[in-house]
Parts: sequence; structure tokens; C-alpha cells
Amino acid sequence: MNINSVLFVGVGGDGIITASNVVAYACMFAGFDVKKSEIHGMSQRGGSVSASVRYGDKVYSPTDKIGSVRFMLATEKVEMLRWAQYLNKNSVVVVNDRIVPIIGQTIEEDKIDEMVENIGVEKLIKRRFVDDANNLGNSRLSNTIMLGLLSNFMDIDEKYFVDAIDQILPDKLRTINQTAFSYGSRLSEEYA
Amino acid sequence: MGLKIIKKILSGNQAISIGAYKGNARFGSGYPGTPSSEILEHFKNYPNVTAQWAPNEKAGFEAALGASIAGTRSFATMKHVGLNVAADPLMTSSYTGVNASFVVVTADDPGMHSSQNEQDNRRYAKFAKVPLIEPSDPFEAMAFMQYAFIVSEKFDTPVIVRSTTRISHSLGVVQFDPRTLDNEQNLKLQKDFRKYVMIPANAISRHKVVLDRLEKLRVFTNETPINKVEKGKTSFGIITSSMAYNYVKELLPDAHVFKVGFSYPMPVEKIREFISKLDRIVVVEELEPFMEEELKIAGLNVEGKKYFPYDGEFNLDIVEEGLKKAGLIKEKTTKVVFSELKLPKRPPALCPGCPHRPIFDILHSLGKDIFITGDIGCYTLGCLPPLSAMHTTVCMGASISMGVGASKAQSEQKVVAVIGDSTFFHTGIQPLIDAYVNNANMTIIILDNRITAMTGGQPDPGSGFTLKNKQVKPIRIYDLVKSIGIERVYEIDQYNYENTKKLLKDEINKPGLSVIIPTRPCVLAPRKIKDTPLVVVSDKCVDCKRCLRIACPAIDFKNNKAIINEMLCTGCEVCMHVCPVEGAIIKKEEK
Repeated sequence: MNINSVLFVGVGGDGIITASNVVAYACMFAGFDVKKSEIHGMSQRGGSVSASVRYGDKVYSPTDKIGSVRFMLATEKVEMLRWAQYLNKNSVVVVNDRIVPIIGQTIEEDKIDEMVENIGVEKLIKRRFVDDANNLGNSRLSNTIMLGLLSNFMDIDEKYFVDAIDQILPDKLRTINQTAFSYGSRLSEEYA
Repeated sequence: MGLKIIKKILSGNQAISIGAYKGNARFGSGYPGTPSSEILEHFKNYPNVTAQWAPNEKAGFEAALGASIAGTRSFATMKHVGLNVAADPLMTSSYTGVNASFVVVTADDPGMHSSQNEQDNRRYAKFAKVPLIEPSDPFEAMAFMQYAFIVSEKFDTPVIVRSTTRISHSLGVVQFDPRTLDNEQNLKLQKDFRKYVMIPANAISRHKVVLDRLEKLRVFTNETPINKVEKGKTSFGIITSSMAYNYVKELLPDAHVFKVGFSYPMPVEKIREFISKLDRIVVVEELEPFMEEELKIAGLNVEGKKYFPYDGEFNLDIVEEGLKKAGLIKEKTTKVVFSELKLPKRPPALCPGCPHRPIFDILHSLGKDIFITGDIGCYTLGCLPPLSAMHTTVCMGASISMGVGASKAQSEQKVVAVIGDSTFFHTGIQPLIDAYVNNANMTIIILDNRITAMTGGQPDPGSGFTLKNKQVKPIRIYDLVKSIGIERVYEIDQYNYENTKKLLKDEINKPGLSVIIPTRPCVLAPRKIKDTPLVVVSDKCVDCKRCLRIACPAIDFKNNKAIINEMLCTGCEVCMHVCPVEGAIIKKEEK
């Protein structure tokens, strides 16, 4: 059974749910069966959050198997590492170069960076997408830029993502997110 | 009428609400609880429906039962532990049966993503002798929910539809025509003394009706198309239901599978026939061996839980491990490439500006001679370090009643009960009366943020608006508590840290019963609250880390100095009050 999946990981409030919905709709528009899982509840209070979009001819399980995730979008570095066991040597990982502090704990960023960079996946793109987003005038656009970049590695045509953004986001946010998506998509030239 | 097919990606909960509407339900009630809360939140958007939050699941269940007897198809929603609260009407509504269809949705939480236990509510269907329907994905959640309304009227019984977190909060492609509704029966309110008044004389004869109905259901479960065989090529067969079905299908695409959708009563005869042509049968089910036991009682030779865990949520890896143990899979299909890394855990925390924070900081600082009985809500997070100010949490409403017992059983420790407003309205009022009439020596803190915050901000009787966003006069907890006869009742603004600390300290040390109601609203719902953020004057910070003890996500420490994240800070000033250095934390513009 040929199933691909995109695993979204981050911290509560990072916009994981919206980003994963965009990908789920893009996959459906491209003609795939889609399942998506997400966990609400306690995770909304600043805990670890994940969502998984799985697509293929026929998808049963909404969650992934360890070592089987092809694509990962991580909004934070510690969370990327927390879910690393789901990756394999062929995975493509796009990670926002930021750390969200944990109450009562000191995180040594150097060590985390070292772990991230030594992960050993096919493609690791670590970048301060927050800076890109600020350049576009809105710090909350990071995820859409990351999606634009990641979309180049997926077997889903860009037009389906464009449609999905129109479907998911409210009117006033559509244009700016379409801009952010194509900005991200163009970034892929740097990482080809 | 031509078909008008809509194709959408929907969550299990959205799908359940669509199924309810298509099943002609026009009344829905319940109490919010993860993972069930979104069902009524979606259902309320339909035209001409009554959708309302009840103060607790028992009230919600009974309201829906009343609507059914009055001739309107109805349903009640709740999380698994909510059905414990509604167990009383469940057991006897099995005897009364229904007039218009009545469906109970229970959303179980295997893995306890947001719950205090992981009980398997399939047991309730057998206990109450009512049919049980279990979808395995969002499409089935819609279709089976609609089907449940047909079963309910056909057999004159409440029907339980069981979801789980992974079904309610998973999304899948669902295609449907929103206009194809079940035929309306035009039922009228039914007055039937023998059927609806459960005095012993009537209940005795109704129990026989229940047993007779169960025999009919035992036949029907073998006929319904939602119990079905999916033919494969293997010499063995798998019996499975709910989410576990998906893992089996993905791991063993060629296996013979008996998919159970109508799981109580179990389709024993249909399974007997399925088994007869196969060498071996393994039952794959999450949590309890519910199906396995039913099949073994019927004398069928099946295996199950000896290969799979009784606890926790299933996933592809766990089911694969079990199938391997059972000898049905030779090798695991994916290798572990990267082992799990050692990383700091990221537990959930009270939001920046959360009005519960100062209360727990104060309780923590008042010392070790206080026994704090807690309750269910965001504020349960007050148990975690560094706040560490909660010693019990069992179920909704238990804080006050357990505190009553603890205050009677000993006198060394002062007893403080902490409960939220929605939980107080849910099952805290009777325990409060218990505390009053039995003269308990304790302090009760009712954290009144005027919303059901933990489950995403649903209104409660103190909010001033309803599920359908209609404005209503809120119940003021102060007046309610006063009306019982309790004398020492106080409302306080807990952002006023020093006053609050003094009041708590005084009241905890005084003998007798008192009730303190901190009144700051939730910072997230119904609207986000953000005041001018605070900043740390770096030169003045003495590295004492006192501000870290309030566990605020907006405060971080770098190079021995506190820093406040402006984006996150709501300006509640609690850190400023606990900081021992005057002027080290100030409002942003004053810098």
C-alpha cells in the first residue's frame, strides 16, 4: 500500500492545525484519499502538539508508524527531535530555527542545534522562517512559507495548495498567505 | 430531485453532527468534555434545531430523553466519564424505551489524552441492555449516527454510539448529500403511564420487554449490513471494530476481516459462519476484551488479548507487535532508524495571564500544613511543579466532598477545596450543601472564570450566554452560595495579589466553613484578554528566580536574568507582585 505522510510537530498555539488542514485539502483536491489526526485538549495549554496527514489511493490509519514518515514540518527544534523516531533516511524535514522555552528548564540551544544537524535524513532545511515572515510583514506567516517550501518535495501540484489555502483560510488572510506560499516555494531553489 | 454531493474533509465529531441532522434529530444536549465537545458546537449551526449545554451529563441525557418522549428525535453527547454521571437515567431509559429516536454519544479516550481514566464504555451497552454502534472513521461516524436513529425507533430503545478520541479528532474524506434526510414520522408527545412511569409494578413488566427486545436485537445484529465480512486470502481471520479496524487493514491488507459496526449484541451467528471456514481467529480490539468475551461466552474458539495490551491507545506499531506475537506477521515492515532522544518534556501549563496562577502560588506559599482537594479543569495543572498545590483529583465535583471527609477525619491539616465554576455547576453544588449541613471545617475556593475553559471555552450557567450565543442573565455564584445559608462568602479580584493572599490566609486559619470566589475571567474565552505587557529592568534583577515559581510561559531566564516575552505577556502583573525587588518588573511604557 503506497501511503505518504506529512507529520506536523510543534507547540500549542503554533498553528499546526491550520497548516495541516491546508495540506489535507491539497491532497484531496489532487485526487488522493486522506486521513488526518490531531490531538486537542491538554495540548492547547502550551504542550507538545502534532498532526499527521496521510495520503494515498486508500488510507486507513490516520496516524503514522515509527520510521515511516516521508515529510516533516516542525515549527520548533526541540519538538522536531521529539518526533525524530518517526523519520527515516529518506525523510525531508523543514524546521523553523527557533526554540520555545520550557517552564523551569534551561535548554542549551547549541546542543539542540547539534542534534538537529546530525539527524541524518535525506534533506534537512533549518532556517529562521520567522525572519522571512517578518520580511513579508506578518510574523504568523512562517508556517505557510514552510509549506510552500515543503510542497516542492511532495508529489502534489502547487495549484492544489493554492485551492486549499482558499478553502481553509478566511477571506482577509487569503492573499497574504498565497504570497507567503509562493515565497516559500521559490525558496526551494536555494535548497535544490 | 437531483443529488447534490458535497465532498469535504471532516472530523469525526463534525461527521457525527451531520449524521444526527440527517437522522432527523432536532434536539441535542450534553456537557462539554474532550473528545466530545465539538459535536454539539457543530450541530447548533443547523436551522430549526435545539442545541444546548446542560450543567452536567445527567441533566443533558434526561433533557434528550424528555424530548424523545415528547416526539422529537434527540441525542445527548458526553465524554466517557460523563456517561458515569448519566448512568442513572441510562439504566432506566432502557426500560422506558423511547418514543422518537434517542441516541447517546459517548466519546471514549483510550490513551487518556485528556482524561482521568480510560474506561471502555462498550461495557455500558451490555450493562443497560441497549444496542451499541461503533464507527471506525469520519465517514462511518456520519452514516452510523444516522443509522442509529433508525435502530432506536425500530426497537424502541436508546442506542449508544461510541466514538474514541482518534475517531472524533481524526479527519477523513466524507461525501454526502445534505438534503437526504430520513422520513419524518410526525410523532406526537406520548403519555403512557405503563411505559414511562417506572414504579416497581410497571418496571417489572418493562424489564421483560427489555429482555424480549434483546432477543430481537440478537437476531438483527446478524442481519445488519454494518456487521460485515471483508474477504481475503489468508487461512486465518481477524475480528475487529472501531479504530483498530484501520490498523488491521493497513497491516494485513490480504486478511479475511470481520468488521463489527454493531457490537452489542454481538453478531454471534454471522461470526460462527465466518469462523467455520478458517484455521484461526484473532480478535483485535482496543482496551477491554469486550468482543472476545462475548464470543467466548457463545462458545467460539477465538484468541485476542493474550497478544494485545489491555491499556493505552492502539497504533500501527502496537497492533503490528501484537500480530507478530500471534504469528500472523513475520517481520515488522519498518525499522527504527532513529531511537527516541532524551529531551526535556513539555508539559501543558496554565496560560500567561491565567487567573488561576496567583491562587496556586499563594496556596503553595502558605506552607505544608494545608491539604488541597482539587477538581477537573485547567486548574488541575496547579498540581504540577513548581506550583505543586493540589493533593487529590478524582472526578467532577469531588474536591468539595472529599474535602468534607478529610476535614472530619483529622485536624492536623487545614483543608482547602479548589473547584472551577463550570465544575461547580456540574456536580459541586450538592457537595457544597454537604459541607454546610455537616458543618465541615474547610475553605472552598470556587475559581469563577465564567467559562468551561479546558474543553475550549463553552459557556456555563455563569457565562451570560448559551451554546447558540443567546444572551441570558448569568447565575452569580456568590448569590447561590449565600442562599444556602453559608455566612463567610467572599468575592475577590485575585490579580490583587496581596489582598487575596491575606484573605486566603485568614480564612484558612479560621475555624468553620468559608467560600472564596476569585472572579477574574479566563484570558482566552469568550474573548482574548491582553493588557500592556511587562518588562524586566535587567540591572535590578537579582537572579532569585522567584518569578519562575509562578510557572508563567511568558517568563524565561537567560544569563541569570529574567526576561518576559512581550508577545505572550498579558500584563496580569502577578510576577510583579511576587518579585521581591521594587521596580525590577515594570509596565512596558514606563521603561
